[in-house]
Amino acid sequence: MEPVSLDVTVDMDLQIWIIGTIALVLKLGAVLLFLLLMAAYLVLVERKLLGRIQVRYGPNRAGKYGLLQPFADTIKMMTKEDIVPDAADRVIFLLAPAVVAITALLMFAVIPFGPDITVYGHRVPLVVTDINVGLLFVFALSSLGVYGAALGGWSSNSKYSLLGGIRGAAQMVSYELALGLSLIPVVMEAGSFSLVDIVNAQTQLPYILLEPVAFAIFFISALAEIKRIPFDLPEAENELGAGFHTEYSGMRFGLFFLGEYVHMQVLGGLIAVFFLGGWHGPLLPGPVWLAVKIVLVCLVMIWIRGTLPRLRYDQLMNFGWKVLIPAALLNVVVTGARLLW
Amino acid sequence: MRVDLIDKVPSGAIGTLWEGTKAIAAGFATTLKHVFRPPITEEYPEFRRVLPARTRARIVLTRDPDGGERCVACYLCSGVCPVSCISMQSAERTDGRRFAAWFRINFARCIYCGLCEEACPTSAIQLSPMFETCERDILTLVYEKEDLLVDHGGKDPDYNFYRHAGVVTAIGGKGGHIDEDPPVNVRSNMP
Amino acid sequence: MPKLTIDDREIEVAGGTKVIEAAARLGIMIPRFCYHPALGSVGACRVCAVKVLEGPVKGVQMSCMLDAADGMQVSTTDREAVEFRRYVIEWLMMNHPHDCPVCDEGGHCLLQDMTVSGGHGIRRFPGKKRTYPDQDLGPLVQHEMNRCIHCYRCTRFYQQFCGYRDLGALSIGNRTYFGRVASGRLESPFSGNLSDICPTGVFTDKPSRYFGRRWDYQRTPTICINCSLGCHAVTSVRYRQVARQEARMSAAVNGWFLCDRGRYGFFYASLPGRPRQAAVKGETTTMDEAIAHARSRLETLPPDAIAVNGSARSSLEVLAMTERAARLKGWRGPAFFADAGAAHNVKTAIARLEEGLAVSLGEIGQADFILVVGADPINEAPMLALALRQAVQKGAGILVLDPRPVCLPFGFMHVPTAPEALGAVLGRLVKKSIGPAGLDGPAARFYASLPDEPATGQEVLARAAGLLAASRRPVIVCGTGIVASALVGLAADAALLLTAAQKKAGLFYILPEANSFASGLLAPPESTTDRILKAVVDGDVKALVFVENDPFATSPDRELLERALAKVELLVVLDYLDTPVSRRAHVFLPTQTLYESGGIFINQEGRAQYSAAAFAGGAPILETGGSDHPPRVYGTGLPGADPQPAGQIMAQLAGEPMASEIGARPEYFGGSTVSELAELPDVEAFPEEGQRLSPKNLPADRFKSVLPPSSAAESDELEIILTERTFGSEDLSSYSACLETREDEPLAGLHRRDAESLGIREGDGIAIRTGNTTLEFAVRVYDNMASGVMVVPRLQRLPWQGLGKRVRRQDIRKA
Ligand code: SF4
Ligand code: SF4
Ligand code: SF4
Ligand code: SF4
Ligand code: FES
Repeated sequence: MEPVSLDVTVDMDLQIWIIGTIALVLKLGAVLLFLLLMAAYLVLVERKLLGRIQVRYGPNRAGKYGLLQPFADTIKMMTKEDIVPDAADRVIFLLAPAVVAITALLMFAVIPFGPDITVYGHRVPLVVTDINVGLLFVFALSSLGVYGAALGGWSSNSKYSLLGGIRGAAQMVSYELALGLSLIPVVMEAGSFSLVDIVNAQTQLPYILLEPVAFAIFFISALAEIKRIPFDLPEAENELGAGFHTEYSGMRFGLFFLGEYVHMQVLGGLIAVFFLGGWHGPLLPGPVWLAVKIVLVCLVMIWIRGTLPRLRYDQLMNFGWKVLIPAALLNVVVTGARLLW
Repeated sequence: MRVDLIDKVPSGAIGTLWEGTKAIAAGFATTLKHVFRPPITEEYPEFRRVLPARTRARIVLTRDPDGGERCVACYLCSGVCPVSCISMQSAERTDGRRFAAWFRINFARCIYCGLCEEACPTSAIQLSPMFETCERDILTLVYEKEDLLVDHGGKDPDYNFYRHAGVVTAIGGKGGHIDEDPPVNVRSNMP
Repeated sequence: MPKLTIDDREIEVAGGTKVIEAAARLGIMIPRFCYHPALGSVGACRVCAVKVLEGPVKGVQMSCMLDAADGMQVSTTDREAVEFRRYVIEWLMMNHPHDCPVCDEGGHCLLQDMTVSGGHGIRRFPGKKRTYPDQDLGPLVQHEMNRCIHCYRCTRFYQQFCGYRDLGALSIGNRTYFGRVASGRLESPFSGNLSDICPTGVFTDKPSRYFGRRWDYQRTPTICINCSLGCHAVTSVRYRQVARQEARMSAAVNGWFLCDRGRYGFFYASLPGRPRQAAVKGETTTMDEAIAHARSRLETLPPDAIAVNGSARSSLEVLAMTERAARLKGWRGPAFFADAGAAHNVKTAIARLEEGLAVSLGEIGQADFILVVGADPINEAPMLALALRQAVQKGAGILVLDPRPVCLPFGFMHVPTAPEALGAVLGRLVKKSIGPAGLDGPAARFYASLPDEPATGQEVLARAAGLLAASRRPVIVCGTGIVASALVGLAADAALLLTAAQKKAGLFYILPEANSFASGLLAPPESTTDRILKAVVDGDVKALVFVENDPFATSPDRELLERALAKVELLVVLDYLDTPVSRRAHVFLPTQTLYESGGIFINQEGRAQYSAAAFAGGAPILETGGSDHPPRVYGTGLPGADPQPAGQIMAQLAGEPMASEIGARPEYFGGSTVSELAELPDVEAFPEEGQRLSPKNLPADRFKSVLPPSSAAESDELEIILTERTFGSEDLSSYSACLETREDEPLAGLHRRDAESLGIREGDGIAIRTGNTTLEFAVRVYDNMASGVMVVPRLQRLPWQGLGKRVRRQDIRKA
């Protein structure tokens, strides 16, 4: 991949290059900081909220209201022993968590968090990189994420991990289809694969109103994609120990964890971009709107986790293949018909 | 066999969908409501609830109403303990009383199941509500008889095994226990 | 063969089988208290009730009293029978004390089992409980009479089965009491069985009192090695301490019981003073260093100057390794016997125990006439006395030919005979009881060589000859301890002659020690301990290796031993006991007992039996914890676990590859010169009743024994007969403190005639001058022993080692 792919069509002037680089580094830093901090606090929020749903407090000992809990957790995980099982396939075992975390982080690269701004007369788009096939990029990375779970489960050389890994792979492959299909109407509506274009196409009407079925399918598939309740079969703790990451400890386990929460935000961002109008909104600046929308989506996900039980494996598969995919296909046809006539 | 948990079975696809949606919505409503309820948690170090006498925590060895060690080292508790954390050595006092020369419980292993208390024929071993026994050095969790003995009868203050048993001790000789006739005269020929 | 149905399952049993036994064959355990396979039925407890649905009698019946009959239909689960049994238990429990927690029977109590399984849990009877006073029955059995359920097993065992009278049922009715007339030590040497036989906690094991519960013990099937019979036992170990031994049922050997010597003869294994560390010149060191030291010292000497002594208390594995080490290195020995006489007797016995002639201890009970020659059963092999009694109970006659004042718990004929005359009397008796008819070849020639008429027309002998003549399954029991060499072969030939005379005759030897058979198989013919000691004194041998052998206990010549030990340059001792010789060792190497290493012992009948290892070794927790709290250290490794199997140590001393695992046949016996041993099964597959070894070929000296000339003339010397006692003379059991009070008083025995001629009376002390020392003895005077001999028990409290073989009458004075 090109390291610098600023969408600037001006002469190869040094100044532009410098400004472009600085802008990129700043954007990268801001996004990374935002994502990691959000991930950490999302964990806290999730635990607190789950606690309240269950009529208890949740973490409240580290700092006021437990606000330092994420740091306590991080320190704990960093200082824990990093155990590699004797029978594990060492290299793969060590790499798998990184795959999960990295793919999740990379996905955010194509999510636009505001309209282009102008700095010293140069247009700087508020997206890490606006490639014109952003959507495909997202899907590509999302598919790569499967490897994290599958390889982690396989390389642990433990039956629980392996079962978890296999479940994860099967589940993600199945739901990816529905995920992709559900977005085709959106692309049809916007007429572009670029996320920036898609956002810009929603200035008047967010697609959630125009394409509610697509939204529903996407949301459900997204939950399955990030393996959250009610689709957390790969780590179903009461059947498989902890599923694919049973054998992981310390920060390596932390990376899986981090990956999951970053993934949550990425999908929150995607939902915002595809269906909730991206950065568009009154009064507040674009990036804030996007953040608000992401948080909202995440809260709903937590709420779902606090409410629904886990599906059975056969239900999961039936639902994916027999309900979601046909529905998505039908939706494509209907949208096509609507656009045609 | 199919077990229907819902009393009114919805008919048809629409009915099922409707019922399902309603149920899910009710679930979401409930959890949402809960978020705004005050938690019922009792926060432990600040708030210490008085535990019932029959709470199963740290084990003690009690004494009979006459102040004697109740344990007769019968090995029943160690035999029944599912994690084998009780060990002892039985011995005999000069007056014929059976007792534990040493008695050891490894609390690092105990699962506080209470089976030992249930098995004990003398009410000697009892679980107490004392639960704050955590230690950093695991060996300090191995309690000896001296650490376990208390000077009361616990939940069963009145029972003294040796008043019921038939063996001769300082508490009573042959025929000197509860519900016993005096020893028969073996040498008498009277019918 | 009646065929009956029990709980809808059919079974065919031999006629006369009781229903309770028939059910047992089907795996149905009908409750019982008074019934015992060895003691039979009396129908006293009523707990074995079953319902007979079809048969000669119907309704609720006692299954232990009911003979199985053809077509019988029995139900053990019928409601009426179950109710009946439940009421019986409830009645039995009416007077039962609230004792289980402090009762040693708890955990293996038949009454507990029956009460719990019968469902009686809550006492309904409001009345008071009957109580009894208890008695002190000595150091072995604890008495707690309140717990009795009046099944009469104890008195049936003690009086009927064993023939002792000092314990029994006293008083009547509700007061019936089981005990002695007055407190006191139980006289029977089988008294320990009371704790096994009593179904409740009236009689419990005193030495292991309160030590543990059955479920806490590591229980292992073992073999008793306190005499040559090799009875089967179960050994209980707890906290690395051998705590208790019980009898293990074996039809071929001991039946259901054990003698007290065997039951309590295990204390040596866990004695606090047991040496567990290797030592070089009195300094403790590691096993490896001590072995290396001994080896390097041995290597500096020519092989001919090194001599090895073993003993018959070692397992076959140890003996084989010792023999192999000596053979490969060219060392002298190994000597497994004190002198040539003992070696010859044992080797002869082994050679003559041919197939078809040898009988097992169990088969003795079936004999109809038993001739005991030169043996004192109760002292040399106590369980033999019990087997003989069973034969007597069935009507067998027993004649004992022995110089000693033999005492047995049943009626028998005794002809006190001087050792050298035993052969002649035996020959005459056998000759008189059969005629020459039907004999030919060597048998006829042997018959002819026997002396004819009794020189002294003893009426007892005539009666015995009559019984022998009428018998169909006679057995000759022959001792090997005090008899002359020729007698051992003669006994075998006599048995052969009886066989030739159309009788199903049997032969049964008593050997001196537990593994004498194996020692006899493996010992090189010419090496004995006395020769080796002489060679040390002569300066030919410079290094002595003693493998589980204490010459101070076995060698009859203390003076020679002392001279040899003073002269020897290197004394290596391998042992698990703290013996006088191990204390003087230059290099001491601790070995494992049978309970730790396991091993094969071959009993006097040639039955190789495997005794499994009961625990992994190490010093008892009571010892390492100073009998207070056990130590609070947690780690791997056992304290006091240095000792190794003696066979392995010998292999290392010889620089041979070590036998990695006990029971690996080829490693132990592969190089053995005795081919039978290599064919013994693997220890995992060892048959429970053992495997009998018999000579491959018929012995060459059949019918070849010659009567020794007997000198009838009154000599001016008394022959010394060193004799075993049930308690106190055997090596291992003499370490058991609880048996000390069972030992006989240390008295020498004299016949009344000899005593009178010497002017000695019962209880007098005598002083005997031998060489340049004077030994003092107290004397007991007997009528039922041979004259011309002095019987001296080999008790540790008697200085028997100084006596030699004979004393002159003029050297005996009243002290
Ligand atoms: S409470 Fe349970 S685990 Fe603990 S000592 Fe008693 S029996 Fe053993
Ligand atoms: S069960 Fe009771 S009496 Fe028996 S050993 Fe345990 S504490 Fe002691
Ligand atoms: S004899 Fe049996 S039932 Fe009676 S007190 Fe002893 S253990 Fe309990
Ligand atoms: S003492 Fe034991 S064996 Fe003897 S009658 Fe009583 S219960 Fe039976
Ligand atoms: S066992 Fe039959 S009556 Fe006792």
